[in-house]
Amino acid sequence: MSERTMRILIPTGHLGTVPFRSESFYRGMETRPDYVVADAGSSDPGPVFLGADIPLGFFERDDLERLLVASREQEIPMLVGSAGDSGANSRVDLFVSIIKELAEAHRIPKFKLGYFYSNMSKEYLRRKIEDGRVVEGLGGFPPLTVEEVEGTDQMVAVAGIHPFIKLLDMGADVIIGGRCGDIAFTAAPAIRAGFPEGLAYHMGKMLECASLCAEPFMGKETVIGTISDDDIKLTPFHPDQRCTVASAGAHSMYERESPFYEYAVGGLLDMTECKFEQFDDRTCRITGAKWVPSEEIRVKVEGSRKVGERYIGLAAVRDPFLVQHIDEVIQWSRDSVAESFGKTGYQLYFHVFGKNGVLKEMEPVKEIRSHELCIVAEGVAPTGELAERITDFATRMMFFVRIPGVKGTAGAAAFIEKKPMRAIPAYEWSINHTVPVDDPMELFAVHLTEAGI
Amino acid sequence: MGTRKLSELAKTIRSKNAGVNQITFDIVFNDAQTYDRVKKSGALTEASVAKLYGMKPERISHFVEFDVINAIKFTIYRTSPSGGPGESDILGCQQYGPLMDIEVPWE
Repeated sequence: MSERTMRILIPTGHLGTVPFRSESFYRGMETRPDYVVADAGSSDPGPVFLGADIPLGFFERDDLERLLVASREQEIPMLVGSAGDSGANSRVDLFVSIIKELAEAHRIPKFKLGYFYSNMSKEYLRRKIEDGRVVEGLGGFPPLTVEEVEGTDQMVAVAGIHPFIKLLDMGADVIIGGRCGDIAFTAAPAIRAGFPEGLAYHMGKMLECASLCAEPFMGKETVIGTISDDDIKLTPFHPDQRCTVASAGAHSMYERESPFYEYAVGGLLDMTECKFEQFDDRTCRITGAKWVPSEEIRVKVEGSRKVGERYIGLAAVRDPFLVQHIDEVIQWSRDSVAESFGKTGYQLYFHVFGKNGVLKEMEPVKEIRSHELCIVAEGVAPTGELAERITDFATRMMFFVRIPGVKGTAGAAAFIEKKPMRAIPAYEWSINHTVPVDDPMELFAVHLTEAGI
Repeated sequence: MGTRKLSELAKTIRSKNAGVNQITFDIVFNDAQTYDRVKKSGALTEASVAKLYGMKPERISHFVEFDVINAIKFTIYRTSPSGGPGESDILGCQQYGPLMDIEVPWE
């Protein structure tokens, strides 16, 4: 009996942030995989990239170049999801133009370039809400209101496999996806070829971060997933990495609330019966994932809203007395800002590194032994001018702190910079919801063009 | 009866965003024996982690023992969604620190 398989190569967990490693990528490409895929986005870096419509990384062109040239050389289809971090239309357009430029620069023979958009209109969501369709909140968000929609700067819908399958059906050789689930671009070609949906989605989940499903921990190294009608197998291509039961099993539950379930457009991936076994020294074999189609199709929506302009000021203390009285130092600074600027109309945060900068109120260590502390003052206000003045004042007033018992009388804070620095404006997630749809394609317009010479 | 630190017993201890409003914690053990002993010790439970982080138990949305790979996993709600003003760990990937020092009864 001949067992049919499909092999999918992924070189990076986040295209464009840090270049993926060439050695394992080309070693993987030598084995002639059936598809090359990569995820270029996430909601993980925060709401600013969607809201401000800016990219996170500086290596998008570099990563796309190596992917495109190597995959076109062997005529292997290439699928990229969530272009430019947010997967917004502007990012898709940028990636499409980069692909066209690269194709010309490398004199790649003509090929079909497919892409799809994920941006949503406020009108669409408003109509859904007004029609009485509940736009449910995820992760503790309450149901969506029209006011939240109106206040949002940019919103995208998170696609499933459907636009990828549609574009492959249309003959696309290279696909640049708008915002999509990180399991979609791997699952799509496998499901289109008739492999079991449960295994296809699970392979998508296992591959989405490339070498993070292997051990020891190494980012940006190539992994190939092989799907058959009975199982999936994961093989890393860095010579020192192995996919083990522990590494694959741990990745299976990575970044999810539950190790047993994952929602995607149109259903639920059920991993309760999954089995992980060591197939050979470096390959892990996984079986048992099931796909449970849902009656109602819901699509996730992400939206980001601008809160204000933002400045960051840095101060440090080395005086052991000030270190022990840092809460009073900060209170003095906060009160001084309130005295001069009032108590409302801005937001002011102090991050005290060396004390509880990372964990804040969740930090169990209450008595610190640090010999020095770094305080980051973060000011957010409607205008850049006010944000700068507040942050400048808050940082400066730490220098002028008045606490009885201070021996140093020339200044209570050390600076590496006397003025606060302008930061990317502050944004917040305003939409983290799912909307019911009649057709999984209704939010994702697909397009096909040509590139190359 | 002595104790061992969780960092000596576990193979992986980590935290990471699970969506934009939750953080999930994974503690993976090398073998079933260690995993079982930690489970039975009572040192790593919903109540113990709530106490460790000084949070109300309602903030824990999920706490599960994942026998297939000898892992304990729990997920908490953030106090505000990731990456907004005042954020100090956008990816939620350094929140696991205090778990390392949990003392597990051991002899």
